[in-house]
Amino acid sequence: MSTRRGRHALAAIGLLVATALAVTGCTAGASPKPTASSSTAAARADATLRLGLAAAPANLDFTSTGGAAIFQALLGNVYEGLLRLDQDGKVVPLLATGYTVSRDGLTYDFTLREGVKFSNGSPFDAAAVKFSLERVKTWKANTPGNLAALDHVEVVSPTEAKVVLTKPDATVPFWLAGPLGAMFSPDAVDSLATKAVGTGPFTVASYQTGVKLVLTRNDAYWGAKALVKQVDLDYFADASAAANAMRSGGVDALYQAEAYDQLASFKADPRFTVTAGSSQAVVVLSMNEANPALADVRVRQAISHAIDKKAVVAAATGGVATELHGPAVPTDPYFVRSDEPYPYDPAAAKQLLADAGVTGLNLTFTVPNRPYAQAISQVVQSDLAAVGITATLQTQEFPAVWVDKTLTQHQFDLTVVNHVEPRNVTNYGNPSYYWSYSNPAVGKDFAAAKAATDEDSYITHMTDAVQAIIKDAAGVWLYNPPNVVVATAAVHGMPTNDLGVGIGLAGVSVTG
Amino acid sequence: MLLTVLRRLGVFALTALVASVVVFVLLAVLPGDPARAQLGLDATPDQVAALRHQLGLDRSLPAQYVHWLGQLATGSLGISYSTRAPVGPEVLNAMQVSLLLVLAGMVVAALIALPTGLLAAVRQGRADGAALSAATQVGISVPSFLAGLLLVTVFAVRLHWLPSGGWVAPVDGVGGFLRHLVLPALALGLVRGAILSRYLRSALLDVQREDFMRTARAKGMTRWQALRRHGLRNALVPVVTVTGVELAGLLVGAVVIETVFVIPGLGSLLLRSVANRDLVEVQAVVMVVVLLVLALNLLVDLVYVLVDPRLRRAR
Repeated sequence: MSTRRGRHALAAIGLLVATALAVTGCTAGASPKPTASSSTAAARADATLRLGLAAAPANLDFTSTGGAAIFQALLGNVYEGLLRLDQDGKVVPLLATGYTVSRDGLTYDFTLREGVKFSNGSPFDAAAVKFSLERVKTWKANTPGNLAALDHVEVVSPTEAKVVLTKPDATVPFWLAGPLGAMFSPDAVDSLATKAVGTGPFTVASYQTGVKLVLTRNDAYWGAKALVKQVDLDYFADASAAANAMRSGGVDALYQAEAYDQLASFKADPRFTVTAGSSQAVVVLSMNEANPALADVRVRQAISHAIDKKAVVAAATGGVATELHGPAVPTDPYFVRSDEPYPYDPAAAKQLLADAGVTGLNLTFTVPNRPYAQAISQVVQSDLAAVGITATLQTQEFPAVWVDKTLTQHQFDLTVVNHVEPRNVTNYGNPSYYWSYSNPAVGKDFAAAKAATDEDSYITHMTDAVQAIIKDAAGVWLYNPPNVVVATAAVHGMPTNDLGVGIGLAGVSVTG
Repeated sequence: MLLTVLRRLGVFALTALVASVVVFVLLAVLPGDPARAQLGLDATPDQVAALRHQLGLDRSLPAQYVHWLGQLATGSLGISYSTRAPVGPEVLNAMQVSLLLVLAGMVVAALIALPTGLLAAVRQGRADGAALSAATQVGISVPSFLAGLLLVTVFAVRLHWLPSGGWVAPVDGVGGFLRHLVLPALALGLVRGAILSRYLRSALLDVQREDFMRTARAKGMTRWQALRRHGLRNALVPVVTVTGVELAGLLVGAVVIETVFVIPGLGSLLLRSVANRDLVEVQAVVMVVVLLVLALNLLVDLVYVLVDPRLRRAR
């Protein structure tokens, strides 16, 4: 009797296991194209660099999907442009060997590097330049409007391309060095979301959405070959999970590490190096000028005086970020180092509010559900209460809800967000942008800067615009978050500054 | 038997249909637009409108639903709004990961519950029994995500014995797979094991008061022998019932654990697709979860029959 029962019990377990195996097969969670190598102690050239990042690409197509994550991974690694930004933010040639600008600023003559091939074997030539740049008009994401001046490209010879503008635009080289200037193979744009074909030092081996992007060295690369055989980009939605992976040896480096509260302990640990480079991002407290009270410049200046930026930086980043006094970041060519025009001064804030005749101001403050924004909102709320302004906090899921309610429908009085796009100060020239700021003089300055034919006059006009925006207190610019890179001692050559383009990984090596 | 299967299939179809409508309406009511969420902060209204048209979001809600249902009828789970790829393979892959995790969690739970439950019952009233009982009470009170964080801190960050997170598929290396599975399975299984252990203990205590147990003892069996021969199997019936309920809980618990351990299962996929307002992907995940829960229930019913021969005769 009991043996029969035993058999049944066994059968029950067997059934469970068999079902589970049948259902799961054995490919559970496998990458689309599994890669064999996972060498750790092998020779340097065979090394794999495992890099931890925060925001994950939705797909591989940055021409139709926004967010910095996609081009951050692909630009400079898989895709390349005619020009690129070096670590100091200077525009230098890449697939072009050089270029000349006509006197009227309307034509750019590029000479192209010879012998360059796309990873699918197609040659890179002037026809590919024409195809790629004229295709920008059809992009759906990543601000194709920045290259709106581009009219057409003429193929002069296979190694010479003439870029023709409708009107002069001094910013064209800068944008060509970013995602908009990426060169695509004309015969490989049908499935950009899943297949990336470029001329770069790496190719995409596999992408498991939201989890892991694997790059492998392109051995047919035209320039200096990548120093590692493979790069695993691991995506961590949670900053502390990323920090744990770093500590337990799950990744070799973290780029744009966000666990600010853990930086001190990483710095104290001799196994790790921590660098805080520059970034293009601006964290700004915006005031909706559609609200009559906030349309008064004195009220905006009062709010600027009321906020203790030092406390904000301490609360949101543990004190590692650079305080900002205006909408430009230190690496922008038009950045002017100056004293804080609106120093923390609650008495001055109260005086300005009294001058404006504003009492008992009640403002709705929409806050993205991100740690930095939550921390800032607490400081801002109490600072505003100290000068008699009541801010009602409304947490909104980011991006979905915030983008819908605040950015698109303008349903807010105050909000705070991290603008990561480079040189996005021109948004202050767009009166229908979410903060509804409008100053015709600023618009004129931006237009003049764009039309400038030399760098100096571009910088002059931009500086004028920025100064006017600061004078209008169009926002409370809080800080420029640092680009924090944590790496083990075995990792060499990690880029430290984030320029709002790609993370160049070809020069990174792993020893040991 | 055939009737039972048909009835179950009917229940599944109905549940899935209701679930799909609820999810569809909920996501439509929720603020946020997939096109907007994808294009970033600097997209122009024209770009958003163009993408909405491309994704078919400019159609009426019922039209979108009918379109989705039509796709489902042809066996396709649809094309994701955010990845622009068919969601079927991705959801299937995530399901396998979650199932393996739940299975491992269940094994851990059983490995904990059987000995501790038995011991606590046998040693009831003595110091060690009481201590075990108290320990399981503590186990129940610890949320699984906290257990996960503690395990990571101790075994990954401090001791470097195991990875802090991530996932290696069995085909990519069984060793790596197991190493990555241990901590999440423990985090998931500890709490469930504690709960199961308490059920087993009280069921065993109930059984011990039964006449047939007294008879067994009268035949000269020790308390332990009687429990093993006659008690355990009878006590298992309520335990299997609880396990069935717990399995659904385990799936939900896996969602949290997947986030803590960065595991690409159904939970991570669901969180991501809701954040992207990727209706197609959310629907696919919900369909799979409904299917899984019903399949697990069916499995539990089968186990009942194996454990308790009386039920076999009744069918």
